[in-house]
Amino acid sequence: MKIWGTGLLNGLRISMRNMRRGPITMQYPFEKYELPERARWTVVPLYDADGVPVCTACMTCVKTCPDHVLALDFTTNEDRSKHINHFSYQLGACMMCGLCVEACPFTAIAMSHDYELARTDPATLEYDLLADVAAYKPKRDKPATPAPVTPTESAPQSEPPAAQGGDAS
Amino acid sequence: MNMILVASLRVIAALGLMLLNGVVLIYMLRKVLGHLHVRLGPMNVGWHGVLQTLNDVLKLLTKEDPTPTNVDKVLYFMAPAIVFVPSLAAYAALPFSKTWAISNLATGLLFTFAIMSLVPLGVLMAGWSSSNKWSLLGGMRAVGQQIAYEVPLLLSALPIVLMVGSLNLNDIVAAQDRVWFFIPQFPALLLFFIAALVELNQTPFDMSEAESELVAGFASEYSAMKFGLLFLSEFSNMFVMAALIVTLFFGGWSLPFVPAEMLTPIGPPVIFMIKTYLIIFCFMWIRGTFPRVRVDQLQQLGWKVLLPANLVWLFVTGLAVKVIEAVAR
Amino acid sequence: MTEDSRLTVDAPDAPLAEGSYVPAALPVGLRRVPSGVDEVSTEHLVVNFGPQHPSTHGVLRMIIEADGEEVVGAEMSIGYLHRGIEKLAEHRRYNALGTLMDRGDYVSGIHGELAVALATEALIEVEVPEKAHWIRSLMSEVNRIASHLVWYGTFGLDAGGMGQFLYAVRDREMLLDILEAVSGSRMMFNYIRPGGVLADLPQGTDRKLLEFLDLFDIHIEEHDQLLGGNEIFQSRVHGVGVIDKETAIAFGLTGANLRASGVGFDVRRDRPYAAYDKLEFSVPMAAEGDCWARYAVRMEEMRQSARMVRQCLEGMPEGDFTAKVPKVLRPPAGEAYAAVESPRGEWGVHVVSDGTESPYRLRYRPPALFALQVVEAIMPGSLIADAIVMAGSVDLVLGEIDR
Repeated sequence: MKIWGTGLLNGLRISMRNMRRGPITMQYPFEKYELPERARWTVVPLYDADGVPVCTACMTCVKTCPDHVLALDFTTNEDRSKHINHFSYQLGACMMCGLCVEACPFTAIAMSHDYELARTDPATLEYDLLADVAAYKPKRDKPATPAPVTPTESAPQSEPPAAQGGDAS
Repeated sequence: MNMILVASLRVIAALGLMLLNGVVLIYMLRKVLGHLHVRLGPMNVGWHGVLQTLNDVLKLLTKEDPTPTNVDKVLYFMAPAIVFVPSLAAYAALPFSKTWAISNLATGLLFTFAIMSLVPLGVLMAGWSSSNKWSLLGGMRAVGQQIAYEVPLLLSALPIVLMVGSLNLNDIVAAQDRVWFFIPQFPALLLFFIAALVELNQTPFDMSEAESELVAGFASEYSAMKFGLLFLSEFSNMFVMAALIVTLFFGGWSLPFVPAEMLTPIGPPVIFMIKTYLIIFCFMWIRGTFPRVRVDQLQQLGWKVLLPANLVWLFVTGLAVKVIEAVAR
Repeated sequence: MTEDSRLTVDAPDAPLAEGSYVPAALPVGLRRVPSGVDEVSTEHLVVNFGPQHPSTHGVLRMIIEADGEEVVGAEMSIGYLHRGIEKLAEHRRYNALGTLMDRGDYVSGIHGELAVALATEALIEVEVPEKAHWIRSLMSEVNRIASHLVWYGTFGLDAGGMGQFLYAVRDREMLLDILEAVSGSRMMFNYIRPGGVLADLPQGTDRKLLEFLDLFDIHIEEHDQLLGGNEIFQSRVHGVGVIDKETAIAFGLTGANLRASGVGFDVRRDRPYAAYDKLEFSVPMAAEGDCWARYAVRMEEMRQSARMVRQCLEGMPEGDFTAKVPKVLRPPAGEAYAAVESPRGEWGVHVVSDGTESPYRLRYRPPALFALQVVEAIMPGSLIADAIVMAGSVDLVLGEIDR
């Protein structure tokens, strides 16, 4: 038979014990959490060793994307090579499921670790991943592995549209 | 002329103490709750966030103060003042040392209880006049619980009065020079502590602003400094109640085995404040741990448990006092 | 007598019959006026708990008719979080359905994904490798602990406590870190796919999980003592919100809520999926059906889940983590139903395929919706404070209810 009130005292003991365990707070803007390798954030294009984007404009990702946030506008040249006018990306609608990256047959896009995605201007929520570049020719000399660019470095962090030389529309 | 000057200086001192207390206690609450909950509390404004409360006071002062359309304007504007003034006046009788008190009242204990019992009036006014359902429920609850617990609160202080034979808080402290009253009066301390928690609207008895039920209770419609006053008086009441506990049960400004002369002039008030803050820490500790009692359970506890227990203990104390007197004679 | 003539007789200004007694008007002082004192009539207060309210677990709107503190009528108004998940599913490919299910029950996304993956697998008739089964069970149980911790914390919040929530969230945070390392996201996992799982467990997952479990074995007892051992909490939940066996079955309650009412049904045990037929666990049950029973059952479930996670880590077989499935699934026309035991109950997904790459129709069975209806039924007659505790005790997640 327990005496009424022992549970209350025990509760106080437990909260004091937790207090002594110390805070677990991570003071976010000052210290940052190291994301695990698989963490999925924005979609970024990947580049080969020469800094040429590996996107072949095959449209697989565009078709796969469940939320239709990717759009690829390209023109086919006379020699059947493709020219990417705009490879646009709606960050505001992206749910970071990673299906486009899984679907990409050439590993031309990746999920970056860029998680500080707040924007002050809603217009910047939609930007071009690639603009006005020639599409990679997969058959010419297929790069088995694209350059080992870590996604975080290659991600257009603070100035997403301008970094790729595209227009911000 | 001189008397008026002295009186107004005392009021200003009380006001200053109250405001300072409020600021310190809010910071303390945040820090204590934060650390109890394995968090840090405010960290960025000033060293470890010490200036955070000041910041918030400034925010409250400069904030727009919208008045809802259908409020009962007179009561709505009066309520914060009616809550605030008694909790300021309650500082009057607290003995910070033998000589340091705003006013050395012969009926200090009675005065403090009387003035504190005005607070629920203001809370009811706030709740009623806001014409908000949550506020109304909160105000009703507040009044219900305060009425139920005035009696146990007074009754649990009475054994002390029986032992001392005086309502003067300084006399009560002086009577504890040999043994602090929490040793012979431990049941009274428990009863007083519970009743004090209810009076203060503290968890586990925070009925009138039960967040998970009534959002913010009686204060739902208040903002800016009107809310600030309600909030401040809550913390000030907490201090007054803790100070009463210290005075009644823990020897007030005195220390055991240390004669008061050695500590003067600055020692006793410091000791008093430290003790009071320790009691407040206990309040906060409880606040961070316990769930809330239900309304009907609260009333049952008040009328069916605390009141009879108080009466029994009062009887026992009275008997003991008489027996000791008879033996001593 | 015709309708019209009756009306004229009853009308106040109808001419009096011959010889009727007409009382003389009393002097003003003696006239009996309704004072309101001798005929106390109280008005019922209709209060909206939500959609914005600290204890609605999302955006539930409880319209409560209260007589003072007592609830006399309750209506649950839902739909504030409606996103049209079922309709959206008709325009998504099969392997993208998991993203929607995550957002249904956002506290335990793995279970939603698993259900839709199981249903899709039944349609395309693919053999899932053994390891995938084990990983699925493992992730389900990890997610169940995380979800129950949220419930534990918020249930305590509803009862007015504060500390337990942050202690629970601290523990959950460790689980979310593990889930993020495994799946890539903290809540919207998109990890379980038709045919298997997205990827193998990354290096060090078992070490992290074991570390967590060692801590959790201590913490769960602390949680239980902090809230369950507290006499105030006990007095708040014992005998409150009783759902008896018949009501529970009649309303289609499942999961821990059903088991707390004395019906021993657990999808994991009775219709095993993933690797549950190879795991050893007991299904906790209680007979009382009150909030305390639901509390006790869920706390015990957490311990059982921890046990199962250990078993999964020990028994994890070698092999592939996914079967070979085409990138774009086109199941043959037909329909399939698959159910999993989500932390809230039986989460079932019914998919109808018409042979195209997206389902013709998808419906999921949100277990919390049924619990919500029971709460609505048992709420009248209780106090407002109890009503809040009842709603908290059945573990509502509005994302799942509103779809």
